[in-house]
Amino acid sequence: MISDEEDPLYSRPLISYYLAGELPEEKLYYRPPDFYERNRIEAYLGRRAVRVEPGANRVILDDGTELRYDRLLLATGASPVFPEIEGLDKRGVFGFRTLKDAKEMLAMLPEVRQAVVLGGGLVGLKAAVGLHARGVEVTVAVSSPHLLSQMVDAGAAQIYRELLEAHGIKVATGMKPAEILGDGKVEGVRMESGEELPAQLVVVGKGVRANMDLVKDTEVRCEWGVLIDEHCRTSVENIYAAGDVAQSYDVVRGERWTNALWPCAVEQGRIAALNMAGKEAVYQGSMGMNSIQFFDLPVISAGRAGLRERDFDEEIIRRPRKDVYKRLVLKGDRLVGFVLVGEVEQAGLLRSLIAKGVSVRELKDRLLEPGFSFAQLMPILEREREKFTEREYLELQEALKAVAMS
Amino acid sequence: MRIYCDLRRCLACGACELACAVEHSRSKDLFQAVLEGEEATARREVQPPPEPILSSPPIGGISLGCMHCDPAPCVDACITGAMHKEDGATIVDQEKCVGCWMCVMACPFGAITPSKLKVALKCDLCPDREGREGKARFACVEACPTGALIGGELEDFKKLLEEEVVLPIETYHHR
Repeated sequence: MISDEEDPLYSRPLISYYLAGELPEEKLYYRPPDFYERNRIEAYLGRRAVRVEPGANRVILDDGTELRYDRLLLATGASPVFPEIEGLDKRGVFGFRTLKDAKEMLAMLPEVRQAVVLGGGLVGLKAAVGLHARGVEVTVAVSSPHLLSQMVDAGAAQIYRELLEAHGIKVATGMKPAEILGDGKVEGVRMESGEELPAQLVVVGKGVRANMDLVKDTEVRCEWGVLIDEHCRTSVENIYAAGDVAQSYDVVRGERWTNALWPCAVEQGRIAALNMAGKEAVYQGSMGMNSIQFFDLPVISAGRAGLRERDFDEEIIRRPRKDVYKRLVLKGDRLVGFVLVGEVEQAGLLRSLIAKGVSVRELKDRLLEPGFSFAQLMPILEREREKFTEREYLELQEALKAVAMS
Repeated sequence: MRIYCDLRRCLACGACELACAVEHSRSKDLFQAVLEGEEATARREVQPPPEPILSSPPIGGISLGCMHCDPAPCVDACITGAMHKEDGATIVDQEKCVGCWMCVMACPFGAITPSKLKVALKCDLCPDREGREGKARFACVEACPTGALIGGELEDFKKLLEEEVVLPIETYHHR
């Protein structure tokens, strides 16, 4: 296993908690320190793979080391995208992707009174909230008209804008950065509007791009990421890919898409590994989905939930209380997206309806009502049984069969 | 290994929910558990029968808890590694759990509760009852008045389903 990060195996999503001071470094690890040893994995940490030669079954590292393989897994992830503006090389400009990023930001804090976060997505907002928790005056500058525009719609976004502002985090929407100001060190950000925001630290949270360079101009086919099939295999027979670097079939969009999300990455990794080890496993596909909390207000969304989604027919929205917002997105008879703010217990059930692509025509008006439960889905389980092939559903079918026969 | 529910016998009476909550309280005593509030949360739920009624004879409801799936979508989704498989069971390490609710998002059965204590709560197969014999091994199984619940493997459930149900269940509505 080759990784350009030196840190022992840590959970990337947890760096937000580390930045905010909610978790110490020891609590970030995803596996125990002897994980590689115990599993007989030869780990090359702090070493970067720069080139793959599919014809020769060979990987070349940054120091020229050549490693041969029978099967290769590309899990090189993605890197933060930086806008094409002047001043990115000034001291105090960060992406927020690695534990190293978090540590370097924290190390700068004694010199930082104000910070500007560019980007209103999950990464940007987590950075903002973390810095705020450390006593920094934070302004989030978003180019979109709303926060979290990939994840939720305007209604949900407004709830979070008000929540952040109520806690003293400034939010400025419709703001595109033009230049990072300062003499060697960051002093501020100039927006396209001309407005200048003073800052001694800038965090860029404007999305990520798959790390595909090492297979550039090889037979491994890529678009936005490395293209994989239902076995997580690339266009080269003995090369697989998983995680943020991969572009897999998206069950909602019906085409291959990059869903750079932790649960998708882990599932793809597991399925790739099974296939690489000679045991067939099928990957059903990914979908956009996320679960996150800001100031203890949870939000879960999946599918076509974001601001710019247009490919739907119907929305059902409930706002039973100020901090509880629920939205369903339907296309024809199918659920294709949802947003849950405040009350998120039903997220898994709703997500399974999206994943299975079943008709919810009779159910849709009850999906957001209290009293909606798994039991309500059992007629669908019966009616569209060919879609529910997992062992746990089959066992339920046994129970239903017994009822029918009694 | 998990808890199965015989749908011919389930009345959705809720005894299993109550027993589960008591078992997972500090005191394991009903009256004290009530006073404890949030900590005594049931990890399974009785759910009334679906509408429209199934094409087979109507059912009284279902007692639903973690299916201890394999592979488990919640284990894949967990960002801390708190959710893991242990001898076939899916267990959440509450020390590691940070309450991100990725597992809640992943569970196709809605069997995970995002508790106010900021940890994921779900059926843990009653670890404090290990070593107890028969029905007493699981609080819900012990409490079920009709014998609808059984803890074990699929073969055990299939054997239960082969038994003729002596008392015909008449459905009734909760509301």
